[in-house]
Amino acid sequence: MPDLGGWAGQILRVDLSSRETTAQETAEYVPDYIGGKGIATRIAWEELRPGTGPYSPDNLLMFMTGPFSGTLAPTSGKGQVCSVSPRTYPVPWFTYSGFGGNWTAELKYAGFDGIVVKGLAAGPSYLWVHDGEAELRDAEDLWGLDVFETQLALKERHGKGAQVICIGPGGENLVASATIHHRQKNCSGMPGFGAVMGGKKLKAIVIRGTGAIKIARPAEFVKACKEVRRLVHSGPTETPVRMNMTMTNLPCAHACPFGCTNMTKNIPYQASGAHVSRNLPVMCNAEAYEGGWRWYQYPTKDIEREYSGDIRTRAVEGLGKEAGDRLQVLIESKGLSGWTYLTLCCWFDACIDHGVSHIEGHKLEPHELDFWLDLFQKIADREGIGDLLADGLLRACEKLELPEVVKKTALWLEPMWGFPSHRDGRATEPQPSPLWIFDMLHWVIDSRDPLASHHQTGYIHCWFPPHFEGGSPLVDFAKLKATFDRAFGESGILDPGFEHLDAKARATKWFDDRAQLKDSLLLCDWVFPRVLRGFATAAELEAAEDYYGDVDAEAKMLAPLTGLDMDSADLDKTGDRIRNLDRALHIRNYDRSRTTDSVAEWVYEYPEKTDGTKLDRTLFDRILDSYYRSRGWDPQCGRPTRATLGDLGLKDVADELESLGKLGQSS
Amino acid sequence: MSDGTVPRSGVVIHKRARCRGCRICELVCSATHEGVSSSYLSRIHIEADDFAFLFPAVNCLQCRDPECYSACPRKDVALCIDERTGARFVDESECDGCGACAEACRLSVAPIWSKTEGGKTLFFKCDLCRDNEEGPQCVSMCPWGALQYVERAERERD
Repeated sequence: MPDLGGWAGQILRVDLSSRETTAQETAEYVPDYIGGKGIATRIAWEELRPGTGPYSPDNLLMFMTGPFSGTLAPTSGKGQVCSVSPRTYPVPWFTYSGFGGNWTAELKYAGFDGIVVKGLAAGPSYLWVHDGEAELRDAEDLWGLDVFETQLALKERHGKGAQVICIGPGGENLVASATIHHRQKNCSGMPGFGAVMGGKKLKAIVIRGTGAIKIARPAEFVKACKEVRRLVHSGPTETPVRMNMTMTNLPCAHACPFGCTNMTKNIPYQASGAHVSRNLPVMCNAEAYEGGWRWYQYPTKDIEREYSGDIRTRAVEGLGKEAGDRLQVLIESKGLSGWTYLTLCCWFDACIDHGVSHIEGHKLEPHELDFWLDLFQKIADREGIGDLLADGLLRACEKLELPEVVKKTALWLEPMWGFPSHRDGRATEPQPSPLWIFDMLHWVIDSRDPLASHHQTGYIHCWFPPHFEGGSPLVDFAKLKATFDRAFGESGILDPGFEHLDAKARATKWFDDRAQLKDSLLLCDWVFPRVLRGFATAAELEAAEDYYGDVDAEAKMLAPLTGLDMDSADLDKTGDRIRNLDRALHIRNYDRSRTTDSVAEWVYEYPEKTDGTKLDRTLFDRILDSYYRSRGWDPQCGRPTRATLGDLGLKDVADELESLGKLGQSS
Repeated sequence: MSDGTVPRSGVVIHKRARCRGCRICELVCSATHEGVSSSYLSRIHIEADDFAFLFPAVNCLQCRDPECYSACPRKDVALCIDERTGARFVDESECDGCGACAEACRLSVAPIWSKTEGGKTLFFKCDLCRDNEEGPQCVSMCPWGALQYVERAERERD
């Protein structure tokens, strides 16, 4: 693509078994799949056969950038990882994960839009990529080091400016929640892709790039980036008014002008003999380690009894600052996901409440630091009870003799796809109607915790009236509703309750299409798309007629960067195409259907924890019908029709699904 | 200059304590001057150490007695002084690529770099965005207030 700006032009292919590296033209996938998740999903459709497990040599581990990566576009430092996950439940399936930092930009400067890894290395190895070259190197001496030691060792070898992603002992020992870590604080966490790297014996990927990314119309691109930044102004969506950011707010990724994380702290950490002062913005779960996490708690005991019956989950009390910091450092340095601590903490409390004091002879002491330090060391090493829990809470429950209510509590905590509950209004945070309906639909059709790409709907509650947790006293709810009416051209989207379901479904679809897009361009989930705009001051917010941002922000930056004439309608269609291709992949490889989507309907029969709204089966089905209709999928089976796929340029996909008898039928 | 004195210049000052290592300065600089995104073609470099959380910059101090200017064999043709801002800048169409400017710089890491264009080596350095009425673009886009533009007139009062 010599004439296009934005893309580096080549995708690096690495076969660890044969030790061969080749380069493929990115143009094969552009502009139809844009980059990131889009290109990775197309490659998976073409090359990832049904039955491929996370540790199969045929599993593809893809690290993707997008056209914005490495450029001035605000928040473009995010990277995307796609592969078959060992964590997803009940079956390991293809999913995605993002991470911040500087690695993605460096990969573009090194001349690649992505790295697709397959095969298994004969022994511990790492990949060294520099300015168009790639070589596989021995990593015997790095195997066993934690994620900080590994990075420091590789930076010593390849220079401070080299950007490293790596795994720790958790990934080496195939822990299902193992992370791929970068810098001090960035990681691809939830789907356990660290274990996929470990299975491939790939300890790290080190990048150095000194090249440049072409910009089609530089002056216009700079101007567009400035305008978009002005539009966001306050930072991410969950802050109607600019936060008072302190100096510890380091941006989590390249080219981010916001530095939005508001719970950063320094934790001293010793690595390789050097004292390393860590700055650790982990937002939500930083609070969980030390205490103050109220998400798992119902507002009152009465409501808890009324709402969840036998299922009792207590607020995570935390371990206090010093102990919480120690545990956090251990978990992260071993290359494990901190979210595991959250669900295990709640679940152990529930075990004790229901009379289960030991598991596999191991006494449960979830309020003691030593218990946790020992447990996570064992998980990282797959030793004893750690070996059992390393496969995830739900897989551990399958193997254990436990009271049914304890097993049900595990499912309550991780209701879909083996991921912790997140913004569904039940087990974790409050999420007033109708917002939980949007997030429920995201959960229902996604392949993991969808909040990685859906903070935009997940955090609208911050613009809700103050009696909702996190709501703002400054926001006029009527203006907020008017903003959505304006953005979507129809009314009723933010009305509480179950009226206007079709409008709500269409808005949810649009947010989901844009989620695919931001994971492909790539841009920060917290910042895009901009239905809402931020305000510098409370007075400015109060004086505003409405809160509309600019849903064309992405297109306004993409056109001058690439030189491609793509407007928002083209981008929406691209997002729709990526979602449909992902759906088709899940239908072909995992027999995904309406039945799969409905597996956690029972969770929504429990009331939302603050406003009491809930579903029954009939209502759930009505919502799903609306959503499938908005997507042009057959409501009977939840699968795309030939017409839908054809409109998106996916005729080949329709042909293959039809040959398998898995194509949706038009009504 | 004909009388042998070099006029003062404005300068972009990098405040290390405020910098958060986002690299936006490098990106807007390379986009503005080179029409690309690249750390290596930027006139300001942030030497980010992600593990120490230190973000020192390499950028031109627009010295009172610029050694780069004095050393240039084609002074006032290749290495010039901008009339408006006072910036010591390289006229790339005239640069022979000898590198005397970078060698002469008194800073431990010279903020003067080379690139190859059409088989020819050229040197480049900060020109304070002398053609842009908005002033230095890195300053206007720094989100943290870590870059400050001190204008020529203010430095002349020193």
